[in-house]
Amino acid sequence: MTETLIFIVAGTLAATVPLLFAALGELVAEKSGMLNLGVEGMMATGAAAGFVAAVVTGSHTLGFLAGAVTACLLSCVYAILTTIFLANQVASGLAVGVLGLGVSAAIGKNYEGTTVDPLAELNLGPLSDIPVIGEALFEHDIMVYLAIVAAIIVWYVLQRTKLGLIIRAVGESPSSAHALGYPVTLVRGACVLFGGAMAGIGGAYLSTAYTPLWAEGMVAGRGWIVVALIVFGSWMVHRVALGAYLFGAVSLLELSIQGLGLDIPSQILSASPYIITIIVLAVISRNPALILLNSPVSLGQTFKASN
Amino acid sequence: MTAPKRRLLGALAAGTLALGLATSAIAEDKTKIGFIYPSPVGDVGWAYRLDEGRKAVEAHFGDKVETFAVENVPEGPDAARVMNQMAAQGADIIMIGSFGYMNDGLKLAAQKPDIDFMHASGYKTADNFSNFQTRNYESSYIAGMAAGDVSKSGVLGVVAAYPIPEVVGIINTFALGAQRTNPDITVKVVWLNSWFNPSKAQESARSLIAQDADVIFSLYQDTPSVVTAAEEEGVYVVNTSSDMKKYAPNHLLASMTTDWGPYFIDRVQKSMDGNYDGLAYWGGMADGAVGVVSLSPDLTKEDMAEIDSVIAEMKAGTFHPMTGPIVDQDGEEKLAAGESIDDDSMRGIDWLVKGVETRIPN
Repeated sequence: MTETLIFIVAGTLAATVPLLFAALGELVAEKSGMLNLGVEGMMATGAAAGFVAAVVTGSHTLGFLAGAVTACLLSCVYAILTTIFLANQVASGLAVGVLGLGVSAAIGKNYEGTTVDPLAELNLGPLSDIPVIGEALFEHDIMVYLAIVAAIIVWYVLQRTKLGLIIRAVGESPSSAHALGYPVTLVRGACVLFGGAMAGIGGAYLSTAYTPLWAEGMVAGRGWIVVALIVFGSWMVHRVALGAYLFGAVSLLELSIQGLGLDIPSQILSASPYIITIIVLAVISRNPALILLNSPVSLGQTFKASN
Repeated sequence: MTAPKRRLLGALAAGTLALGLATSAIAEDKTKIGFIYPSPVGDVGWAYRLDEGRKAVEAHFGDKVETFAVENVPEGPDAARVMNQMAAQGADIIMIGSFGYMNDGLKLAAQKPDIDFMHASGYKTADNFSNFQTRNYESSYIAGMAAGDVSKSGVLGVVAAYPIPEVVGIINTFALGAQRTNPDITVKVVWLNSWFNPSKAQESARSLIAQDADVIFSLYQDTPSVVTAAEEEGVYVVNTSSDMKKYAPNHLLASMTTDWGPYFIDRVQKSMDGNYDGLAYWGGMADGAVGVVSLSPDLTKEDMAEIDSVIAEMKAGTFHPMTGPIVDQDGEEKLAAGESIDDDSMRGIDWLVKGVETRIPN
């Protein structure tokens, strides 16, 4: 039983990394009013590019860098379409997502079925030696902790800094922000690129650390979970993070319950992460005023400076 | 969400195919054979094994045949389109490599009686439409014997996709093989409810290991994710479809393999001779269609001797792994002593043997 508990806690921390990175990036993009639905494609591209770079150079750091840069380039396409050519955000996001899946297949084509050494565990000295807790919490690679740090930084920047205020202002009312002299297009573009890079890092974690191999389609819908997490987490960093960890935990719990041989149909168990995450987030986000307050008013709307 | 992209790839592939065929139209006397795969060929897994069969056909017939393959074709309208394209371009034989291609293939077979079809894993046939499957439950029995030999905890874990009869049958013989060498074996199963999700497969393997399993069976997983996880955790692993020794050099216990070469070659020859038929082929050890490779050196001489003798019996056709007395999970006797299951019951098997702890979801 202890083994299973450790598996779930330790597993959740790792399983959530790709979701959390991608969700934080998408959250920032959405806060600036940019609804980029191409997360799945950006994660896939990041996973493919990150994997290839890690195999070729033997360096995980370069893998993450390559994943971030490639997915960022892909998000450039979206940014250009929506901020310069004022194309519909939903359609552009979907197009970029599909494009990303294709690009990822092309990048990874010759690496299908190869593997890479997983990211090394951090050495946390005596902390890892604590029984049970050490194994569950302190025997992880660096990205597990960086994901949490990233969540705190994103929260801090959005809520406590001038930059965050500008991003939120652009997302609330781009015309007002423009009238105040803020470069709306630039801010939105930068937020989209940040979202792309973060999705790329999340994808690269998936292919170089979590399941250290490349296989087409390995992102397996995580990009869509991310989009849903943000809505159900009502655009608040801590709720989105909670949703991500909850989703990760229930997915692993489901597998353990199956192994225990309890007589619950596995189809219901397989659906449980989605159902439970949605229910929990819907219940804690049931205050409509709060949702209204946090959802970016101009989300999904293109903006063109009037003069 | 991969569907639109795959459609694009499929269309592209069909387009290039058209070009390729147009340029080679001079070589009219060659038998043209089209292959359609549901997934990328890669270097392991289902499509890879089918493609090895294609290569065997090329090697056997040399200049007399011309083969071409379209990979990653989703079941449904796209598959129908690729098949029609192949037919339009003069294919004499079409191999359709996925269960869900069946009805589109049958429709086309009725329209084009001069084209012969080979269909993987279906159940319908016609005069020019034959299907093929392998008796992987034979090789999984052997893998199970090896698992029973090496397991110390007495718990085996299976990572499986969907509870379809073929998979259920394989889990049964895996458990029976293990119980032959260690009567106290229990088997835990995690159903992924997904054909393709390498991360979830890997998580499932780890969850089984956390529950004491010290041999993991990667059942129809096309990627090495389970195999690499087992190697990392230091437990033995058995895998299906192709050899994965390189992914688990220390802990691969056995690889169950399939070889479509002999069947494809036989079919192509029949088609050339003009006496193709709607054979429902179910190849086993005796046909050389299934086998076990890369058995771990950790198995003792006695273990290996027993395994070899069972393989010899299967090849001679004197031993069926599903031979009674066999009781199911509820303790009900399904096969009396000495009674072997018939092929029809095996194809539709929907119960698990005693010792398997997980139930079939219904």
